[in-house]
Amino acid sequence: MQRRMTLWAWLGIAVAVVWTLLPIYWFLKMSLLTPDEIARFPPPLVPLDPTPAAYFNIFGFDYQVTPELVRRASGQAGQIINGLINSLIVSIVVTAITMLVVVPLAYVFARLDFRFKQALLITILLSVALPPVSTLIPFYALYVQLGLAGTLFGLIVVTLTITIPFVTWMLIGYLRNLPPVERLARVDGYSRLETLVFIVIPLARSGIAVAAVIAFLFAWNEYTYALVLVNGTPANTLATALSGFLFQHPEPSHLAAALVVSILPPVLVAYFLQRHIAEMNLVDPIR
Amino acid sequence: MAGIRLDHLKKSFGAFTAVQDLDLDVTDGEFLVLLGPSGCGKTTTLNCIAGLETPSAGRILFDGRDVTSDPPHSRNIAMVFQSALLYPHMTAAANIEASLRRSDLAPEERRRRIDDAVSMLEIGDLLDKLPSEMSGGQRQRVATAKAIVRQPTAFLLDEPLSALDAALRMTLRAEIVNLQKRLGSTTVFVTHDQVEAMTMGDRIAVMNGGRLEQIGTPSEIYERPRSLFVAGFVGSPPMNLIRGEVADGVFAAGELRVPLAAAPGPVTLGVRPQHLHVRAEGGLPCAIFALERLGRETVLIVEDRARNRLRLLVEAEFEGRVGDPLDVAPDPARCLLFDDASGLIHAPAN
Ligand SMILES: Nc1ncnc2c1ncn2[C@@H]1O[C@H](COP(=O)(O)OP(=O)(O)OP(=O)(O)O)[C@@H](O)[C@H]1O
Ligand SMILES: [Mg+2]
Repeated sequence: MQRRMTLWAWLGIAVAVVWTLLPIYWFLKMSLLTPDEIARFPPPLVPLDPTPAAYFNIFGFDYQVTPELVRRASGQAGQIINGLINSLIVSIVVTAITMLVVVPLAYVFARLDFRFKQALLITILLSVALPPVSTLIPFYALYVQLGLAGTLFGLIVVTLTITIPFVTWMLIGYLRNLPPVERLARVDGYSRLETLVFIVIPLARSGIAVAAVIAFLFAWNEYTYALVLVNGTPANTLATALSGFLFQHPEPSHLAAALVVSILPPVLVAYFLQRHIAEMNLVDPIR
Repeated sequence: MAGIRLDHLKKSFGAFTAVQDLDLDVTDGEFLVLLGPSGCGKTTTLNCIAGLETPSAGRILFDGRDVTSDPPHSRNIAMVFQSALLYPHMTAAANIEASLRRSDLAPEERRRRIDDAVSMLEIGDLLDKLPSEMSGGQRQRVATAKAIVRQPTAFLLDEPLSALDAALRMTLRAEIVNLQKRLGSTTVFVTHDQVEAMTMGDRIAVMNGGRLEQIGTPSEIYERPRSLFVAGFVGSPPMNLIRGEVADGVFAAGELRVPLAAAPGPVTLGVRPQHLHVRAEGGLPCAIFALERLGRETVLIVEDRARNRLRLLVEAEFEGRVGDPLDVAPDPARCLLFDDASGLIHAPAN
């Protein structure tokens, strides 16, 4: 019985790993293939002669494969660079503002009592439940009036309307389960603000780090609003730029390389915060 | 050091009143235990003394000075919380030092106090550890050290031992009392464990439903409980309480008869298990329900014909089996009588 359970567990893990990694492997591989390898059928399972050419091309550089053969810079390089910069700006600013707002907000909801707390909390939860599509048209109409359509600022604001309630809701649960250190802090003479800054934030650093990752990933992957509000403008993000290529007949290896670049920041963020992600236990923050 | 006085203290949470019209005097240097069942308002009272809760009405005086609206740290109290709460992300040393962050002591004095507390509680090898790396007893010691470095006006302890196992509890019980007597500091200790209260307190304040039932020395509380609640709550095994009626100088309940000079009327008779004896005959006919051998003595639980259970303390060697018939009779000189409304109405003279 024990053995079979382990076997099934391994099988489950294997399926999950293949499920997640296979597509990533596929376009990672594709980004390293030469154009005629891609055109071949059946496609090669591993790059026979891996070249990083596509990665140079998408950032606007020619790549000298052999003295006679040069792979030319991609015509979409400008859009990719612009999209990458915009996405980084939006994600970093959104993450920073989200955390600045959410940490005190979630703390207040999780740990303090005040009038109308329940009603306010429900309002936040409702806005989490609202699908982005339902607010898309009103936002668009509003943004056109205000001249915010097609601006990074507009996109940042609209992304914040999603990340703030969602991350608040997430962090409230985490902060609630912290031990009642506020009483200790009050006896030691910490003010409310000092308690938050010197006690609660260091104590909750894992939860806060994970919340920041989630805000970042959300902003980075945000597509619905970007498609409507900034697509085709100078404020285009990487996600919408990439989806736009499908209509521009890009070289497949360029598309694949751009995809790899687009998943790099989330991978890096997750990698550097993995200790906190593993440490974060939603039920019992303090082991 | 200081005396603490609660003057008509009241604390409500919305419509619910947790503490009602509480008058309490803790004298300078005294170890006062607040005893009561779960939810009776002990923590709330302690939090009011600490300044963590603002009373809805009434005043709190430290040495005659009104501190009702002072914040906790300016009252110069030290508190040990339920299950020895510490800052989980700080080492023992940082936790202890946090107690002194608002004091303007010279660095040497600060060092000296910390060193004293550390050696007094023998926690030198714990200083670099996080609370999660300590045992419950070690956490308790660190929390106590954190409290004493402040040299506070008063120590407030909220069930500090409740999360520990019985053996450790017993050790720390003695340590806390010993420390308190050496420092001579006014102490309020909250517990729902009557053994803890009896063994530790100079005086015990018994609370029930947000009210003070009785305050007195452990022996006063034990010998002359002022109400049925106190009688039933204090003492282990608990006092036998038998509802009946007094008529013509005799208490009668079912087949039980006890000669007692008291005013006629419906009453409850209270008798401690050690004052209920096995008789050859002429007592209340019962059958043995259970035997609990404690080693030094045995608790005998018997059932009369109306299926009321009574507890007796008998010698350790007592022979008997479940179901054996026997007669029991209380010692009339050690019986208490309670009235539902006015509490204790008859007690043996001593
Ligand atoms: N912040 C609060 N809001 C509402 N009710 C409260 C609050 N704090 C305490 N109470 C209520 O007040 C009553 C007394 O609580 P308190 O914590 O003082 O009890 P306690 O005697 O310390 O009990 P325990 O032995 O379980 O710790 C309880 O019924 C509790 O539900
Ligand atoms: Mg309590």
